[in-house]
Amino acid sequence: MEIIAGFSHGLMVALQPENLLYCFIGVTLGTFIGVLPGIGSMAAIAMILPLTFYLEPTSALVMIAGVYYGAEYGGSIASILMNIPGTPSSSITCIDGYPMARQGRAGVALFASAIASFGGGMIGMVVMAVLAPVLAQLALNFGPTEYFAVILLGLVAASAVSNGSPVKGVAMVVAGLMLGTIGVDITTGAERFTMGIPELRDGVSLVIVAMGLFGVGELIVSIKANASGAHQNRIDYAQFYPTRAEWKAMVAPILRGGGIGSFFGALPGTGQTVASAVAYAVEKKLSPARARFGQGAVEGVAVPESANNSATQTAFIPTLTLGVPGSASMALVIGALMIHGIVPGPRLLVDHSDLFWGLVASFLIGNILLLILNIPLIGLWVRLLQIPYKYLYPTIIVLICVGVYSINNNVFDVWLTLAFGWAGYLMRLFRFEPAPLLIGFVLGPMMEEQLRRAMLLSRGDAGVFLTRPISGVLIVLTVVLLVWSILSALRAKRRVRAAMRSAE
Amino acid sequence: MPSVISVFQRLQQAEDTARPPHAWLGALGGVALLALSVLFIWGGIELGVGSPRRLGTGAFPVLTGIALALLSLAVIVMDLRDTSDAERPDWLAFAAIGAALMVFASSVERIGLAPGVFLTVIIASLPDPSLPWRGKLLLGGIVALGCWGLFIGALGLPFDAFKGF
Repeated sequence: MEIIAGFSHGLMVALQPENLLYCFIGVTLGTFIGVLPGIGSMAAIAMILPLTFYLEPTSALVMIAGVYYGAEYGGSIASILMNIPGTPSSSITCIDGYPMARQGRAGVALFASAIASFGGGMIGMVVMAVLAPVLAQLALNFGPTEYFAVILLGLVAASAVSNGSPVKGVAMVVAGLMLGTIGVDITTGAERFTMGIPELRDGVSLVIVAMGLFGVGELIVSIKANASGAHQNRIDYAQFYPTRAEWKAMVAPILRGGGIGSFFGALPGTGQTVASAVAYAVEKKLSPARARFGQGAVEGVAVPESANNSATQTAFIPTLTLGVPGSASMALVIGALMIHGIVPGPRLLVDHSDLFWGLVASFLIGNILLLILNIPLIGLWVRLLQIPYKYLYPTIIVLICVGVYSINNNVFDVWLTLAFGWAGYLMRLFRFEPAPLLIGFVLGPMMEEQLRRAMLLSRGDAGVFLTRPISGVLIVLTVVLLVWSILSALRAKRRVRAAMRSAE
Repeated sequence: MPSVISVFQRLQQAEDTARPPHAWLGALGGVALLALSVLFIWGGIELGVGSPRRLGTGAFPVLTGIALALLSLAVIVMDLRDTSDAERPDWLAFAAIGAALMVFASSVERIGLAPGVFLTVIIASLPDPSLPWRGKLLLGGIVALGCWGLFIGALGLPFDAFKGF
C-alpha cells in the first residue's frame, strides 16, 4: 500500500509541467544521442550536467534519467538499420535486428524494439519501486565501517567485471580515487595536489572529467568510425506493425528479458550490456523459435531490448539507496545530486521522498513519451541517421566547449577538459577503460571520509572491517569477486592463446 | 588553402597504410600510472599521514598511491607480454580536436563567442577531407550564428558575442 501511495504521489510530482518538460527534453536528447553511433549516453549526460545546476533537483534527476534510458531506445535504431550499435548495450540487438532489416522487415524490428523497451522499462520500474525501500531500510543500520565496505565492493564490482582486463579496471578505479583527493581536504582544510592553481582548490569538477574522458575522448574515436558511412536499410512503412503471431511470440521474451535485466541492472558493475547478453543467451536456450535466432527472429530483438531497458531503471536502486553507483552514468547521477546538496543513501527515500517517487513515476511518463517518439516519429530519427557525421561532430565539439566554459566563465576549465580528453583517448588506445576512473573519482571523497570515521571509532584498529559482520561479509565478497575475475580473465587469455596455436 | 586539405589527405593515407602498433606500447600507460602513484605517495607523505586513529591529510593519497603502484607494475608486466596488435591511433583527429579546444579557450575571451566558435568549427572539421573548404566555412558560420542565438539570445548567458572589433 505504501508503494501505491508513494507512486501516486510521485506521479503528481512527475506530472508537474516543469518536470514533464525536462523529462521530454531528456528522453528526446537521449534518443538523439543514442541514434548517433559512437557517442553514448555518458557524453550526453556530461553535456547536460552544467544545465542541471540551474534546475530543481527533481527536474535535474528526471532529465538525466531520461537521457540515460532514452539512449537505450535510440541505440537500437542504428543497430537495426545499419548493424552499428548506437550504444554498447544495443550491440546484441544487431544480431537479429539487422537480418530483419535486410529482409525488409526493418519496420517490424523497430516497432518490436520500442515495445520491448517499454515493457522492460516498466518491469524495471516496478522492481525499483518494490526493492529500493527494502534495501534502504536495511542500509539504515550501516555505520562508517559498513559504508566503506559497500563502497569498496561497488568499486571492485564496477571495475573488475567490466570488459577488458580486470587489473587495468581496478587500476583505473584507484587512479580515480587519487584524482578525487585533489583540492582542499574537507577534514583538515589543507590543500592537496593543487600545484598552487586556485581553480583546483575546490577539486577537479566532475563535469570536466566526464566531458573530457567521454565527450572529447569518444569524439576523437568516433570521427574515423563514422567516416566510412555504412549502408543503411530502407524502411517499408507498409509493414510496420507486427502480425498477431509476432505479437504473441514477443510477450514471453519481453517478460523474461525484463526479469533478467532488472536483476543485472541492480548489481553493481554488470549493467545493461551484460543484462542484454545474458538475456539473449537464455532466450536462445528456452525459446521455441531458437532455430531462427540470428536470422531475423523478432524474439531476438525483443529480448535484449527489454533486458537493457529494465536494467537502466534498476541501476538506480543501489545508486540512490546506498549511494554506490554501478556504472559511470550512475556516478554522474550521484555527482549531480551532490551538487544540489543531496547525499544519496538510505536517508534519501525518507528525506527526499518527492525526489525518489517523482523519479520512479517519471520512468512511466518518460517511457510513454519514448513510445510516442519511437513509433509515430520513427521517420525523424531515421532521417537523422542520414545527416553526415562531418557536420555533426564539429558542432558537438563547440557544444562541449561552451558547456564547460559556461560553468564558471573560465577558460581554465576548457584547457583542463582538453587534458582529460586527450587522456581519455590515450586510455582507450592503451586499452584502459575510462568508466571505472570516473566511478572512483566520484566515490573517492566519500570513501576517504568513511574510512577516517571508521578508524576513529575503532580507535585505530583496522581489524574492525573484518570483525563487524556485515562489513566482514562484504569484504570477503569483494576479495572473492576480485580473485574470480582475475582467474577468469587469465583463463580466457589462455583459451585465446591455445586457439591461436592450434590455428597455426 | 586547398593545399592544407591535400596535406591532411596525404597524412591520413600515410597513417592508414602504416603498420598498427604493437600492444606492448600499452606498457607506456602502465609507466605513466606508476609515475603518478609515486607522485601521490611522495606528496602524501609530505602532507602527513597522521596516526591510524586520526588519519592525516596525506593518508588516503599514500594508501591509494601504494595500491596503484602495485597495480601499474602488474599492468606493465601484462602489456609487455601481450603480442597482439594494438588499435590504430588516429593522431589527426587527436590533434585537430585538441587544437579546436585550444582555439576556443584562447579566443572566446579575446574576440568573442561568435568568431571563437567559427574558428573552433573550422579547426575541428579539418581531419575530414570529405567536407570541402567552402562547406567548412559555411558550417562554421551556421554554428556560430546558432550559438549566438541559443546561448546569448535565448539562454542569456553572460558572454560577449563579439569583442575587440
